[in-house]
Amino acid sequence: MTTSDYLSVALLTTGGLFFLAGTFGLLRFPDVFTRLHALTKADNVGLGLTVAGLALQVDSWAVAGKLLLIWLLALLAGATVSYLIAQGALRLGIRPWKR
Amino acid sequence: MKLSHQVDWSTIVSRVLLFSLVWWVLSEGNAESVWIGVAAVSFAVIVSAMLLPPVPLIWHELFMFVPFFLWRSLQGGVDVARRAFHPRMPITPELLDYPLRLPPGLPRVMLANIVSLLPGTLSATLNREVLKIHVLDGEAALLANLDTLEERVGKVCGVSLAPRHEDE
Repeated sequence: MTTSDYLSVALLTTGGLFFLAGTFGLLRFPDVFTRLHALTKADNVGLGLTVAGLALQVDSWAVAGKLLLIWLLALLAGATVSYLIAQGALRLGIRPWKR
Repeated sequence: MKLSHQVDWSTIVSRVLLFSLVWWVLSEGNAESVWIGVAAVSFAVIVSAMLLPPVPLIWHELFMFVPFFLWRSLQGGVDVARRAFHPRMPITPELLDYPLRLPPGLPRVMLANIVSLLPGTLSATLNREVLKIHVLDGEAALLANLDTLEERVGKVCGVSLAPRHEDE
């Protein structure tokens, strides 16, 4: 294995840990708003690290660009959808959980 | 068809370049698909000119915004991961009203989206003058961070912020 292979392994593993964290948050956090926090942030970092790890393995700029595009679209979709869910929850009168 | 906004040539040229780049990426530089690409790019430029008014992005500000955004979203992921894994799950959520200084339209939408990706904040509702933000930990120094972020988004979009009325 070359240095970039080791770096890929590190990035992909760390990315996987963030996805795991997002799932932990989804299961453990108490209400819809806090769960959205876990999903948007942890999954976006997880996907970003996964994309970075994969980009090290490609041999054309176009494919690397495609990976980057996937990440950007997922960021946009994640932020937009979480906004819509949070707004919908507030409109339905769901009160945020308080300690 | 009459447009509600002016579209100048520099907007058309920059969108042609942007969509051509996206097509090149999607087709992985395959020369055989170039004619489909020309049609797709032309169609995308026409539709985007009808739907989206010119976005006066300040490119060097956007360029400086990228590392800031990457670093802060990494912090956001680490922060929420720590809270999710922590046995006692240290969260004290709150709903805040953030009075906006950015002008309406794309700058505000951009701010709302970025807020959701940064540490501890989630955009919940964009009202006329107020962005409702759900925060994961009410104790953190969030409002100062939001002020900084709003100023940076304003710079990227090339717009000035309205003064805030302190007595509100």
